[in-house]
Amino acid sequence: MIVRLAGGRLLDPTRSPVERREDLWIENGRIVAAPTDGRAADRAYDAKDCLVMAGAIDIHSHIVGGKVNLGRLLSATDHRDHAHAASAPGFRAGSGLATPSTYTTGYRYAAMGYTAVFEPAMVASNARAAHLEMADVPIVDRGAYVMLGNDEYLLRRLAANAAQEEIDDYVAWMMRATAAHAVKVVNAGGISAFKFNQRGLGLDEPGPLHGVAPRRILAALARAVAALGVPHPLHVHCNDLGIPGNIDTTLATIDAAEGLPIHLTHAQFHCYGTEGKRHFSSAAALLADRVNRTPNVSIDVGQVVFGPTMTESGDTQAQFRNRRFAEPDKWISMDIECDGGCGLVPFRYRDKNFVNALQWAIGLELFLLVEDPWRIFLTTDHPNGGPFASYPQLVRLLMSRDYREECLAQIHPAARKATLLGGIRREYTLGEIAIMTRAAPARSLGLADRGHLRPGAMADVAVYRPQSDLEAMFRAPVHVLKGGVEVARNGTVTAAPAGATQLVRPEYDRTIEGRVRRFFDDHMTIGFDHFPLADQELADAGAMVEVRPCRARGMP
Amino acid sequence: VSGDSVTCPFCGLGCDDLVRADDGVDARGCAKAARGFARAGLARKPHAIGGQAADLAAAAAAAARFLRDAKAPLFHGLSADLAGVRALLELAERVGGTIDHVNSAALLANAAVARASGWVTATFGEVANRADLVLLVGGDPARSFPRFHERLTANATPLYRDGPPAVAYLGPREEAPGTAGLAAFVARADLLDALGVLAMLLRGAAPRRAPDRFAAAPLALIAERLAGARYGAIVWDATAFMPGEAEMAAELLAAMLRELNVKTRCVGLPLGGSENGIGAMQAALWQAGWPLRLGFAGGAPVHDPWRFDGRRRIEAGEADLLVWVAALAPEAPPATRSPVIAIVADDVAFPAPAAVEIRVGIPAIDHAGAVFRSDTVIALPLQATRPSDRLSVADAARAILAALGPPS
Repeated sequence: MIVRLAGGRLLDPTRSPVERREDLWIENGRIVAAPTDGRAADRAYDAKDCLVMAGAIDIHSHIVGGKVNLGRLLSATDHRDHAHAASAPGFRAGSGLATPSTYTTGYRYAAMGYTAVFEPAMVASNARAAHLEMADVPIVDRGAYVMLGNDEYLLRRLAANAAQEEIDDYVAWMMRATAAHAVKVVNAGGISAFKFNQRGLGLDEPGPLHGVAPRRILAALARAVAALGVPHPLHVHCNDLGIPGNIDTTLATIDAAEGLPIHLTHAQFHCYGTEGKRHFSSAAALLADRVNRTPNVSIDVGQVVFGPTMTESGDTQAQFRNRRFAEPDKWISMDIECDGGCGLVPFRYRDKNFVNALQWAIGLELFLLVEDPWRIFLTTDHPNGGPFASYPQLVRLLMSRDYREECLAQIHPAARKATLLGGIRREYTLGEIAIMTRAAPARSLGLADRGHLRPGAMADVAVYRPQSDLEAMFRAPVHVLKGGVEVARNGTVTAAPAGATQLVRPEYDRTIEGRVRRFFDDHMTIGFDHFPLADQELADAGAMVEVRPCRARGMP
Repeated sequence: VSGDSVTCPFCGLGCDDLVRADDGVDARGCAKAARGFARAGLARKPHAIGGQAADLAAAAAAAARFLRDAKAPLFHGLSADLAGVRALLELAERVGGTIDHVNSAALLANAAVARASGWVTATFGEVANRADLVLLVGGDPARSFPRFHERLTANATPLYRDGPPAVAYLGPREEAPGTAGLAAFVARADLLDALGVLAMLLRGAAPRRAPDRFAAAPLALIAERLAGARYGAIVWDATAFMPGEAEMAAELLAAMLRELNVKTRCVGLPLGGSENGIGAMQAALWQAGWPLRLGFAGGAPVHDPWRFDGRRRIEAGEADLLVWVAALAPEAPPATRSPVIAIVADDVAFPAPAAVEIRVGIPAIDHAGAVFRSDTVIALPLQATRPSDRLSVADAARAILAALGPPS
């Protein structure tokens, strides 16, 4: 099967020149060089004057897992207002905008030109459930990051000054057991501390029971991820989320990585100062400056979007603090298996609320002040800052200063005065958007055959018709192809093939299994042999698996 | 736990430390598990159409004909592993049916509270390792969850406390567990009021004239212990309350949990979810965006805990076809005048032959799979414990989907 996308402007930041007007050829789901033997295409799409990019990749979006289901449960209005029947035979019904059901999630992402999405907060003990749920997310490739750093085994081994190699082995075992693609740490030590009734945990504050400070946890995990050769760096949700003045913690977290690669997620929520009469200010310039000078750091933004949403986080400590902002007034907190937790707080971001308005501006400041689009990713921390369906509007905010000014004029006047945003002239180019939403996340996640249009790449392709309304352009691509098959046309899904579960399988010394087995036998309520997710279980659930290589073990 | 351990799917505790024995599975002293695994000895029954033996293709085709003709098919029972539930949700959606689980009433009483006001909960592992006080409300959990005490309050090597937790009890005297060191005995009919008194006591507002039947003195002590515990756990089973009172009781408990956590830690542990009821709720939430008691008549999912109550629909004659699923528990379909398509294990019997019978195996006996534990986070793998070529519920649902032909 040969497919030809004819007459488009190909935009691929991994090639030089970045933009070239040529046909794109696809054979058996992969991009190929134009056939030289005169073979004709079995199927052709007219892409005349359209922009052709690789499918977009979302590096951080809460789409599956126990906390997402609790979010759905809490969001009756969202699901009543956004319920839909199957759009055509062969599709499924669903509901929800902020907390969409699985099929709806896959369809909506694909319709916007996204072809891969990563769930960033899988609780280890929830891994089986999360993966079985992920098998019901159609079209897009997907993967999950396992949360470590509040798990009892790790904390006690750090307290006992276990060798770093043992920590590395444990992290590798855990990644394989949970079929993870990367490792995330959420409020290092803080979720565990909350279970001991401790309401905050400073970066250098010894945690309860074990006396291990978050800095030590971060350093050990960053080293483990690097030593195991896992492509994506340690994915860090910093301590002190949402607290005015938390920029100090965030900058210190960068130091804690000791030069090793780290990714700071939803940086907007960790970028606050204490200036002004309201003691809440933007520290985006400080963080951006540090990121610009520190090549081992990447961030995603966690942009706030005005309107109602659900906040879903592993960070029980922060979510318990935030319960007073719940709208409507209800919230859920859960402690999970000496391992993690989750907290849910429904939320409404208002442009006339000083803090919310400034959060919105801080996110945009970060986007515009971080210079290297290879190290900053477009996210709303879906749904925590807002639903992923708002990405097209965000692209417009980044690409159009006029539109930004228009929106800036609407927000709380004191927030408008407190932000640098009005003075920032930068407008993202299409090439920079292609980096930030395609090439860069693919590189960061080790997806060598995604995020570009070179021969050999998976034919995940989005075709956009240039128009003055940038939001409309990014909301409804003319064609979206997944593995060479058209899955959406003009914003409507047309086919729903299954995507693949992305994961890595780092090597480890098997002696760690004996140690962890003893821990499970003594303390855990699930058997050691039943904890790991077996390949057969994924296959039985209908999930195809794509294993991504790790670099050879050893410090880079 | 050895590599040969198996998971028991027959209650919401999800014990996974049972071991294969020569004659099946050693149930570790649990009568419920022993009964469940003893079903491995069942004689095989054929698929049937109107009582006449038929092969799977014919039975699935007959089921598809009934489903095509039905205006309001109901999928009920739903006692199946996770794969079975996922496939049944697809089938129910495909034919515009309604779907409910046999245990959903109690689960929905809890879910309604979680949804309306929220709460603080924890998984088994936290309670077993951390709780220094466990308050059991309504009855001894061991009645429905036989190994509850062994697994949750008698952990020999807890991570975060010395020795066993203090166990307190609030409920009918005749259902009290033997382990409770502190008990407030109230009749079942007074349980809701007693919870109201406890909530007042926790707010520091002693009720001025609490009748004796509310056991105000021991309740005051329970309130004091909860407030003083480092990590309390309140355990309830929504089926223990008077009919119609479960949701109000859970709401009172949720309010206590929200308030207690302002100063100390205290978590709820709502028990339930036997026959993979939690798994059914979870899969419905992720596939449709709503918990069970779902209807797809208009195409889009609609959740309505009254309208789509399976038992009520049958009694009211609102379902013109019943698809009855009973694999994890051998429960016979409720009486109905409508035709019945039965997707059931070999020990499910009928007073009169069902319109279509598709005989399936039992998860954890005949085939592998997964079920959710009562604490909602953990899905456990099931292992086939004998060689078997019996179908799973998912196989049966997929055969019917295939017989329905491509969607139009």
